[in-house]
Amino acid sequence: MSLNSCIQCGTCIASCPSGRITALNTRRIIAEFISSGKKVEERDEIWFCVTCYACQERCPRGIEITDTLIEARRTLVRNKGLPGRLGYAFTFLMNHAALVPAREEHVELRRKLGLPIYHAQFDEKAKEEVRRIVEKHAGSVVR
Amino acid sequence: MKFFPGCMIHNRYPGIEKSIYYVFSVLGIEISPLEGSSCCPAPSITKSVSEEMWREIAERNLNLSDETIMTACNGCFTTLLEVGSEIGKDVRHFAEFLYRDVGIEEIRKKVSKKLNLRLAAHYGCHFFRPAEKKGVDSAERPKILDELIKAIGAESVNYRTKNMCCGGGGGVRAAATEVARELLEMKLEGLKEAEVDAIVVICPLCLFQFDTGQKELEKEGKVFGIPAIHYAQLLAIAMGMDVDEVGFEAHEIVTQELYEKLLVGES
Repeated sequence: MSLNSCIQCGTCIASCPSGRITALNTRRIIAEFISSGKKVEERDEIWFCVTCYACQERCPRGIEITDTLIEARRTLVRNKGLPGRLGYAFTFLMNHAALVPAREEHVELRRKLGLPIYHAQFDEKAKEEVRRIVEKHAGSVVR
Repeated sequence: MKFFPGCMIHNRYPGIEKSIYYVFSVLGIEISPLEGSSCCPAPSITKSVSEEMWREIAERNLNLSDETIMTACNGCFTTLLEVGSEIGKDVRHFAEFLYRDVGIEEIRKKVSKKLNLRLAAHYGCHFFRPAEKKGVDSAERPKILDELIKAIGAESVNYRTKNMCCGGGGGVRAAATEVARELLEMKLEGLKEAEVDAIVVICPLCLFQFDTGQKELEKEGKVFGIPAIHYAQLLAIAMGMDVDEVGFEAHEIVTQELYEKLLVGES
């Protein structure tokens, strides 16, 4: 459902945890898109969305609000790059096939618990396959 | 069935995996590691960069096996379920599998040590929302985890912030750490009032947010001291697994009181 079908009921912002403590205001984002054409991808505060999907779940008009914010982030990333520590996360994904790679202490705990070590991070062929995918789609944004 | 660990379980909380293998052996269900699997990749943050990348990495993981793929992480569940449904792969979440396929009665029968605890259920947003895509539980009144908690002899305590997000998702922990921390504090304020022994999660990212996040809040002088534990660890203990085998070494917050209650069981 398009943003233009919004009836400004405010259910989205009333359901939004981040909206209580940050500049993120989904109702206003949609209102200003409708009234003045301000694009969602021009708003840095969409990085405050925790993607809990409460707004999207409850929207009486069936607007895919969370998914709209995620889609808008892609343009933000192309224009301004990744905020905070997110840039490192994708470097990890490219180099280790993991957004959260293991360090020696984590490998040690697996050994202690008698568990095999089989994540792609520890499999050269698998790791290379993932690296190629990340490079193809996100090589330019990875630090 | 193949177990998909994802980064958070393979690389941070392996005790969850150990617990799952134990539980499945008690239940007589065969499960083995999905070898060579990578990051799922995490749905919201990967889609925030490239939806094609998200889909292609997920497909690579899903195509590693023809068997049903089991996860115990809400993020991995989201990615694998969404992409899996497009390419005809069967993907299950540990919690909904236990509830729907194994059943509460069967779980009850296999519990050898009842755990008489006051527990706070935290579902994690991506377990059941968006309900249309997940199809596992009610979007407003989920009950699966509450029922699973009761099955081990514990009480599932209602609390003010029960349906609130932990604050750890969507890349906010990495993009705006202070926001993630403030949301966690709001969540914990509601939990504190309920005076529970522990928070029970079914997602290792929520576990990380509760556990490491509380450690960070302690540095600001805000001490809550509420342990977080994955349901798999709890169930494994209730089914007789040694408490020292569930990987508490990886947890920052484990109270002596909880440890003793888990050790002894119902007295």
